[in-house]
Amino acid sequence: MIRLEGLTRTFQVGDSLVRALDDVNLEIGAGEYLSIMGPSGSGKSTLLNVLGLLDTPTAGAYWLDGVNTSTMTDDELAQTRQRQIGFVFQSFHLVARMNALENVELPMLLAGTPPAERAERGRLALEGVGLAARRDHRPDQLSGGERQRVAIARAMVMQPKLLLADEPTGNLDTASGAEIIRIVEKLNSEGLTLVVVTHDRQIGERAGRRLRLRDGRVVEDLRREAR
Amino acid sequence: MVFADLLRFTTRSASSHRLRSALTALGIGIGVTAVVLLTSIGEGLHQYVLAQFTQFGTNIIGINPGRSTTFGAATGIFGSVRPLTIDDAEALKRVPFVINTVPVVQGTASVEGGGRERKTNISGVGSEMPVAFSFRVALGEFLPPDDPRAPRPLAVLGAKVRSELFGERNPLGEMIRVGGERYRVIGVMESKGQVLGFDLDDAVYIPAARALELYNRASLFEIDVLYDKAASADEVVRGIERMIIARHGGLDVTITTQQQMLEVLGSVLDVVTFAVAALGGISLLVGGVGIFTIMTIAVRERTAEIGLLRAVGAGRGQVRSIFLGESMLLAGLGGAGGLVAGMLIVAVLGIAIPALPIGFSPPYALAAEVIAVLIGLIAGVLPAQRAAGLDPVEALRTE
Amino acid sequence: MTYRDCVRVAGGALVRYPLRTLMMLLATAIGVAAVLTLTSLGEAARRFVSGEFQSLGTHLLIVLPGKIETSGMGPGLMAGEAPRDITLDDARALLRSPAVEKVAPLVIGAATVSFAGLERDITVMGATASLLEVRGWKLASGKFLRDEDWDRASPECVIGHVVRAELFAGQPAVGQWLRVGDRRCRVVGVLAEQGISVMVNVDELVLMPVASAQQLLDVPGLFRVLVQSGDRDAVLRAKREVTAILRERHRGIEDVTVITQDSVLATFDEIFGALTAALAGIASVSLVVAGVLIMNVMLVAVSQRTREIGLLKALGANRRQVTWLFLTEAVILAIFGAVAGTLLGYLAVGMMHALYPNLDFQPPAWAVGGAFVVAVGCGLVFGILPARRAARLDPIAALAGR
Repeated sequence: MIRLEGLTRTFQVGDSLVRALDDVNLEIGAGEYLSIMGPSGSGKSTLLNVLGLLDTPTAGAYWLDGVNTSTMTDDELAQTRQRQIGFVFQSFHLVARMNALENVELPMLLAGTPPAERAERGRLALEGVGLAARRDHRPDQLSGGERQRVAIARAMVMQPKLLLADEPTGNLDTASGAEIIRIVEKLNSEGLTLVVVTHDRQIGERAGRRLRLRDGRVVEDLRREAR
Repeated sequence: MVFADLLRFTTRSASSHRLRSALTALGIGIGVTAVVLLTSIGEGLHQYVLAQFTQFGTNIIGINPGRSTTFGAATGIFGSVRPLTIDDAEALKRVPFVINTVPVVQGTASVEGGGRERKTNISGVGSEMPVAFSFRVALGEFLPPDDPRAPRPLAVLGAKVRSELFGERNPLGEMIRVGGERYRVIGVMESKGQVLGFDLDDAVYIPAARALELYNRASLFEIDVLYDKAASADEVVRGIERMIIARHGGLDVTITTQQQMLEVLGSVLDVVTFAVAALGGISLLVGGVGIFTIMTIAVRERTAEIGLLRAVGAGRGQVRSIFLGESMLLAGLGGAGGLVAGMLIVAVLGIAIPALPIGFSPPYALAAEVIAVLIGLIAGVLPAQRAAGLDPVEALRTE
Repeated sequence: MTYRDCVRVAGGALVRYPLRTLMMLLATAIGVAAVLTLTSLGEAARRFVSGEFQSLGTHLLIVLPGKIETSGMGPGLMAGEAPRDITLDDARALLRSPAVEKVAPLVIGAATVSFAGLERDITVMGATASLLEVRGWKLASGKFLRDEDWDRASPECVIGHVVRAELFAGQPAVGQWLRVGDRRCRVVGVLAEQGISVMVNVDELVLMPVASAQQLLDVPGLFRVLVQSGDRDAVLRAKREVTAILRERHRGIEDVTVITQDSVLATFDEIFGALTAALAGIASVSLVVAGVLIMNVMLVAVSQRTREIGLLKALGANRRQVTWLFLTEAVILAIFGAVAGTLLGYLAVGMMHALYPNLDFQPPAWAVGGAFVVAVGCGLVFGILPARRAARLDPIAALAGR
């Protein structure tokens, strides 16, 4: 499903050139559960951004479903993000002035889905994360765990093939974090490709395939049979 | 905090949001530019009109037949019960401080000369007219001081009539026909151009008594009295009134001093200039709304900063003056930019279209700048008050 | 993204910051209201003047002595005398034209009018019976000048209502003898209140037969001749024929000016139209200032909502969609501001109308539409920069709030 070939991403910081990703070669199959770990500045987030088509590599190629993403226009990239990729962020990124349902509806709104269908799918997505009763609540009326569940519902409402989670439990207490992991692992068991960036060793260990980065290079790529 | 520090502090915070500050100032700047431009046009018009009037000299009193207290010779043109005569004009010369009097009859007639014919303005005047109105003769001489009741048929041409009838030829000594009567040309006037739409060069000057005959009327249009500059206009007017009453048995004329006319005109034009300044002020008002909005946003954004300031010992008054200062700084800078822009446009217009009456008005420009700063002050009061009223602990907690 | 969703999201963002939204609406509203108020002032002046001329009757021609080369109000129209007068016989001859229905010769001058020791300098108008109908005046009491031979100088007069009030103070005026200059005349009628009608204050007027006035004022010619043509279509024919008749009577020289009301009206319309347009232009400057404010606040909004923009991009919004979201906000502001300004403007116009009920304040349709279009145009134009800035944000940096 995903193939990275000699992927390199460099940043100009002041006078020096920083290699956030350095010649990364990687293949991720459909339905895989992948965790990315490594120290700060090892390139975890950059890799996730590139995978999510938010960032474009300086060199190398990124094939997504057999399409070389470097040939895509800005609009095509946006559309691919909209249809095929879901994001979950450490800081949730909910729109403060919108209630839970409206936040979940946002991707469908951008896609031009008719309102009636939107409401129905939004409701189902919230039900899927156990928040059907909270759909009229605004983010500031929700707990951290609930907010992240809304974010997951929003990420999944377009039924993407790939879910990218950047430290999804970083801002949560242990119990809420476990609940979030349970939800995304369930989605993975239903066939979703899941990539989680985390500092948390315990969470990282749960994945079927564990990637370790250091200085922009893949230094460890462990696979284990699913539990 | 000393003033210099306050200034440095506000300048720095204003320049940290360069584009935002620039746009806020631009709003005020456009308003000030509008005021400067509009008042310059108003002022230019003012100067233009006054110059048109004063070019005939300021120590002139006009006497028109018919009593009218309103401005302008409203009823004078309709004819009158008791005519104003050439004898009246002669008698008025005896009034104290009067230097000269000029009887005036005006009309149009067709003038033939040099084999051509032209419809032109006819001015029946006295021999002293060039002195009284500071007109100059370009060629030959003006009408001689004949017996005003029986003058010889002599004529002086305006510059345009001369060129239309005689071209480049010397018209002196030529005969022309004015309304059928024959006149000998003895002079040509210097070109005066247009005055308030009236082409002074498109005229033929003949003796007043002959003009009265031509138009078969008893009364002059006007007698213009030139008086000693040292004398007061009121005193001369009283003398004229006594003379008219003595001769007519009543005051049946309208006496207008040049001063009165200038005053009335001046006040009308002042109102016009003020009105256009007020129109430009609408934009300043909108600019003020802009400052208020941006300052409100700034207070909200910088809540943490305000908390920190309070925590390190700033008083409410100091916080207030920081925001008020920023607001006034923005307005003042915008206003100054608007002044410069307005002055530039005025200068460019002045060079590009010299005919356009435009004159920069420093008092209005200064007033616009002062009002701009005042608007900054007023627009800043509420946001500054809000900033000063913030609870330091609460303010620090944000962010 | 559908159009309605775009409006809903943009509207939601605006509602979130009520104060600044209100301020931007206010700024736009002031501009639009200024355009409406100022243009309605100009329009009122125009209507007032054309109303004045219309009150002369819609198919009137004015004949005055002297040929004015240029059209319009040259100096010769207000002052100056032509070599040849228009005589009463000339005026009478105009009735030969089939296009001419009525002719009213006029002489105007000033004279001292006295009654029972009271004295006043008053405008005296010499006229004929036809004037009453040509001008459409009404009588308060008595009757108008009688329809007699124009050359008869009957010792009769009709007075304006202010003259009556000042000289007769309560007593009946009709039947009394007035002294006008060196003559005496009997008051036969009093005019109803008319107000100022084109240059002459009818209320402060003494009317007498044209021949009497000519003798009194010692003028052989006429000041004006008012000619009423059969109908509107006959005006041009009447003008041609009047000119022809007078040229023939004046030995082939065309030395009169015939003004039709249409030409005067057109000139005034032009002058006041230009004035109104200039006022609209001046007021529009404030709309530009409002536009600058909208741009400024939208720029602030873009920087404050950087994370939201980053999120939208991560969720698959393309540049066009982000651009439209912010443009829509600016345009909504402009539209609502313009609507509020229009209401505010009409309110101001209504207040002016209450203060000066006899002036017809009415913002012209082009100004109402134009102000709206300019306001929305300003919103659109000044919204472009912030919207583009939003659309160009790098999603990663935006998500991080940078």
